Amino acid sequence: MVKLEIVIMNRLGLHARPAAQLVQTASKFNSEIILKKENLEVNAKSIMGVMMLAAEMGSKITIIADGPDEKEAAEAVAHVFNSKFGEE
Amino acid sequence: MKLTVGKLLADRRDFLELFPLLDGVGYDKELNNSQIHRPGLALAGYTDRFAHKRTQVFGQTEISYLNSLDDVQLDDCFSRFFSFEMPLMIITKGLLPPAKFLEYARKNQTAVLQTNLSTLEFITRVSAYLHNIFAPQTTIHGSLIDVYGVGLLYTGKSGIGKSECALDLVERGHRLVADDVVKITKKAPEVIVGQPDEKLGHHMEVRGIGIIDIEKLFGIRAIRVQKRIEVEVRLERWEEGKEYDRLGIDDNRTSILGVEIPYVVIPVSPGKNITVISEVISMNHMLKVYGENTAQRFIRKLSDDIARRNTTLNYLEADME
Repeated sequence: MVKLEIVIMNRLGLHARPAAQLVQTASKFNSEIILKKENLEVNAKSIMGVMMLAAEMGSKITIIADGPDEKEAAEAVAHVFNSKFGEE
Repeated sequence: MKLTVGKLLADRRDFLELFPLLDGVGYDKELNNSQIHRPGLALAGYTDRFAHKRTQVFGQTEISYLNSLDDVQLDDCFSRFFSFEMPLMIITKGLLPPAKFLEYARKNQTAVLQTNLSTLEFITRVSAYLHNIFAPQTTIHGSLIDVYGVGLLYTGKSGIGKSECALDLVERGHRLVADDVVKITKKAPEVIVGQPDEKLGHHMEVRGIGIIDIEKLFGIRAIRVQKRIEVEVRLERWEEGKEYDRLGIDDNRTSILGVEIPYVVIPVSPGKNITVISEVISMNHMLKVYGENTAQRFIRKLSDDIARRNTTLNYLEADME
């Protein structure tokens, strides 16, 4: 199991388009990927789940990946967050 | 979730017919359990086992006892009583406590609310609200559908077809409770109830189409706000060589928030219709609830037949004719 912590850096937060982008990336991996914000846990491959987080700029998210490609999965998901979803 | 006196007032002021006797005092105090206490004995002086962390409810008995005391006795009583930290005090039947009571409560920053309801009615109503707030909760990645009145919880990996199955069932007249994210609350020792997340409501994501609103598309009959979860349906990609249950005589059970419910594993392959299977799962579950276990009855009949045949054979063998 791999755990990574990130902070949402784009101004608009995790709105619909970034959520879709994130889910697309997560779905490429076989591992189970969970996003955790405070005490809310959602599946990173579920767009409704990710949108349910409604994570705003500055909120802390923990990425938990578990499975055969957990390291790559967690890093790829973290990269999507850290690249601010291609927004400013 | 944090529950303060202020939040209780904001949520249930009308329903519980509450009226604050000390405006704003103690509103930020936190309630951290769902229990109610009648403080009669503590007022009378026996404080050894005073459950002071619960919501204190003063009814006719407590108030008429307080009214029977003179000023010196009241001071004696309250200096002891208010030395305990209490989250909230409720006075029922629209009764008024002695003025000294409110003075002490204000000094201790403890909220005092009055209700017009009778003690019994108040306790019934507030307990339901508090139990709901303090009930164990979890969220599960899955879909919850009411199929013939049975709550089926679909789980399985992303992309296995939970949403498509839900859509198919809705199309056939069943009711969607939640898709993708199911909020589960343990409402009683053996009862788990699922609801949609408030933000998601009855929206659903279907690959290739995007986000759709089931209530707008199919109407009010296609949705349900909450439903008890009775069977978990685990969808799995059909694997060559993997063994699936062929008899259904073993009761497989899983535990959600400590409540045991039966589960079935359904292998799915492209084009396979899980809707009809879902309806059968529901109906079969209802049969079991009503005391009819088809698989077990079938197996018993088979065993009986075999046993009977054995006795016939024995008889024939022993027959000298």
